[in-house]
Amino acid sequence: MKGRAILRSGLPGALSLVLAAYVLAPFVWVALSSIQPEKELFRVPPRWIPRQLTLDNYRFVFTGQFPAGYEETGIARGRISEKARDALPALRNSTVVATSVALTNLILGTLAAYTFSRLRFRGAGLMYSFILASRLLPPMAVAIPYYLIINRLGLLDRYAALILIHTVFTLPFTVWFLTLYFRRVPPDLEEAALVDGCTRFQALMQIVVPVATPALAAAAAFSFMFSYNDFPFALFVTSTIRSQTIPVIVANTAINPDVSFGVVSVTVALTMLPPVAFAMAFRRYVTRGLIAVTTTR
Amino acid sequence: MRDPSSRRPRYGEARYAYGTVLPVVLIVALFTIYPFFYALLTSFREVVLYKPFSQPFVGLKNYLDVVRSEFFAASWRHTLTFVAGAVPLTTVLGFGIAHLLNARTRLAPLLNVTILLPWAIPTVISGIIWAWIFNSSYGAFNGLLYSLGLIDSYVPWLSRPRSALACVLFAHIWKEVPLTSILYLAALQAIPEELYDAARVDGAGTLAAVSRITVPLVLPTTLIIVVYETMVGIVTFDLLYVMTGGGPAGATSLISYYLYNSMFVAFNFGQGAALAVLLALVLVAFIMLYLRLLRSEEIYAT
Repeated sequence: MKGRAILRSGLPGALSLVLAAYVLAPFVWVALSSIQPEKELFRVPPRWIPRQLTLDNYRFVFTGQFPAGYEETGIARGRISEKARDALPALRNSTVVATSVALTNLILGTLAAYTFSRLRFRGAGLMYSFILASRLLPPMAVAIPYYLIINRLGLLDRYAALILIHTVFTLPFTVWFLTLYFRRVPPDLEEAALVDGCTRFQALMQIVVPVATPALAAAAAFSFMFSYNDFPFALFVTSTIRSQTIPVIVANTAINPDVSFGVVSVTVALTMLPPVAFAMAFRRYVTRGLIAVTTTR
Repeated sequence: MRDPSSRRPRYGEARYAYGTVLPVVLIVALFTIYPFFYALLTSFREVVLYKPFSQPFVGLKNYLDVVRSEFFAASWRHTLTFVAGAVPLTTVLGFGIAHLLNARTRLAPLLNVTILLPWAIPTVISGIIWAWIFNSSYGAFNGLLYSLGLIDSYVPWLSRPRSALACVLFAHIWKEVPLTSILYLAALQAIPEELYDAARVDGAGTLAAVSRITVPLVLPTTLIIVVYETMVGIVTFDLLYVMTGGGPAGATSLISYYLYNSMFVAFNFGQGAALAVLLALVLVAFIMLYLRLLRSEEIYAT
């Protein structure tokens, strides 16, 4: 009887431990790889607990100073890993693009969603359905026409190209999500304010927006993360470090078989910081939003 | 009914309405209608890189070439294998993990935070990490098997057709399971506790309670997860780009990667567009099914 009780309370605990290890192991492994010299990473079998710790890989990415013992692998290797030094400007590009996408979503999305939720006008249903249905096109199928549009607009390799494309992908979700949310906000207060001579825009900003902060936070978090994480489009419409985002730089650094993984781990670790911090900070909204994305309509 | 006099006159309100909605409609339209017709028209023409000024109309030739191609059949076969592994695993693991997230263990609060992490980071980044772990010369996976005495020498997991697909699948599941777990968690929390109490009083064991109460009640969530994960599996691209590059010998060239290849590597835009249209049709069929399920779930919930 006692054995069974232990099994009952111990099994979920043990499985939880396994799960935590499964989820976290890759993060830990990258963190460990980033603080070891290259020689240590090439041990067979690897040292599970590192013995030599170094910040050389970080120093290389931040200052360009070559890690000790690096030269012996040859000059070609040095040139290849040089690409990893683009990680910092790429992080800046990613942050600028993703923040702009989140802001554009908040501004355009809030205005449109409030109108869809409150006002009746000719073509409203049609336009709403059109915005939602636009998501039906598979991303790969539109890659070339997107490239052509961006080229025609003269925006190749500029922030604006990515901001536009990511906005197109995220706005339908934002509009739909906020429309549903605004519909649940009782209209009585606004109606009173409108009678008192408030304009629609004032009613939205002063009455509805303050109570919708959780939904706005979720919408902003989602569009930020979509934009930050996007890989294929960032790959197609950017070509130099002027606009290349961090997933593109890290991917193009890492797929080179000659690259030093110590240095790649640094760029991987740096890339993960913003979305992980974001996911932690917005955890509740993100979880609720995740559920809403896939289950409501 | 609201008293009509309490509303502001309609004049000006329509202008406000169009002013706020049209920017969104126009941006979305530019990036929807033009690409749609472009892809459709290109798919009926021969558009190849080495003949930029001659794009003759060829009817259904691109479609026939694509469908008859050996690579097309092979990439669908790989895609189906991948989806057949990914969908059951993400569903079953998600169901199990949701129970752990819901359990009153000491680790549950920590798990609820960490489970989001694989989902939060860019897919290419998770692909890079897993490719490093499965690395043939220095990877931690080989190291682990070697240390445990399960292999005598390191195995090039990502260079063998079968194991390469399995490695990508493993990384894919790691990335997708957070979402399915959270969806199942929400479904579990919606089940009233009294149902389980009643079952316990009637002498039902844990297994009976799970199979008779939990499984039927989370069925709508299961349907949604199955369809959603099928779509995600079909459009998998990022992981393949960084983990295997579609190789070895095309063994991990799933349909989206094949499309990328014919457009951006072979530069056969006509065939690429035909392939894109075919893929779009398959996806639209799935999304219609998906929306239908969501709608029926709404009815189910109320």
